[in-house]
Amino acid sequence: MEIIDFIKVIEEEFEDLTPGTLSPDSVFRDMDGWSSMHALIFVALIDTTYDVLLTGEELKSCLTINDLFDITNLKMSSGGINA
Amino acid sequence: MNDLKGKQFFITGATGGIGMVVVEECLKRGAVVFATGRNESVLNAQILSHPDFTFIPADLTNADDLSSLIKLLPPLDGVLFGAGIIDPCPIKFIKQKHIDAIFSINFDSICLLTSLLAQNKLLKDKSSLVFLSSVSSEFPYKGGALYAASKAALEAYAKGIALEFASKGIRANSIRAALVETAMFEKTKNALTTEEIAEVISAYPLGIGAPLDIANAVLFLWSDLSSWMTGSVLNLDGGLLLNSKK
Repeated sequence: MEIIDFIKVIEEEFEDLTPGTLSPDSVFRDMDGWSSMHALIFVALIDTTYDVLLTGEELKSCLTINDLFDITNLKMSSGGINA
Repeated sequence: MNDLKGKQFFITGATGGIGMVVVEECLKRGAVVFATGRNESVLNAQILSHPDFTFIPADLTNADDLSSLIKLLPPLDGVLFGAGIIDPCPIKFIKQKHIDAIFSINFDSICLLTSLLAQNKLLKDKSSLVFLSSVSSEFPYKGGALYAASKAALEAYAKGIALEFASKGIRANSIRAALVETAMFEKTKNALTTEEIAEVISAYPLGIGAPLDIANAVLFLWSDLSSWMTGSVLNLDGGLLLNSKK
């Protein structure tokens, strides 16, 4: 998985986001109107798309899109999928 | 509520934050407690070794476990249906597995368990059934549609029991609890920022609840003090709903 594809998935999900506005260094909690609902959507989106279930603690430990990408990739490769 | 002495109660979800306190309060009052839950190891040694306490490990979503469990229970004066999960999921991501996960424990298992208790004549006349619901059944929150629906279903089911079993004096009531400081809440807090936690807590005029707040209501509903209450839904929310726009 490439980060560019990961960002594309996120931008398609959040319709308010103008494509191309997110970068690996973007702090996702700085998104306009961020709320705990967005956090749930991130968890569900990653679960649905990559079959990886992030815990609340894991999400909280992430700051940027790149952090999310790394932890998703790590869990995919370690076989910790929805374990 | 000293009239619980010698009475026999069954508690599901007994290893959760609320269930555990209900167990402790019952034992303090001389009741005989049978309990089940997911994690026996969280119960302290004092409870586990108490002569009036029996823990029965069971997965309530498993039909074989339910059948085995029923065989170990005596005729009961009261039941707390306290087992449940939250598992939030935004609506557009909901799949059958999410529906099954929530409803199998929050609703299906309770219906099946109640049927078995009735079939096996384990609900004494004038016994009292208490169902642990949530304020979200009427005031849902984003991401919690399935959980809220499962609790709304539970409340409606409890009212059905109240009606069908009234001729035996068996009562059924729901407690609609808001946020209570339990391990589940601690886990939720880990996923929220400090600001988000503060915002949640600030919505409660009396602050968020303690497990004992809920346990006290359970004991009240089990006691003769509530002998004319059935089919009711008791809001325990620290004033949360006073701020509701509904």
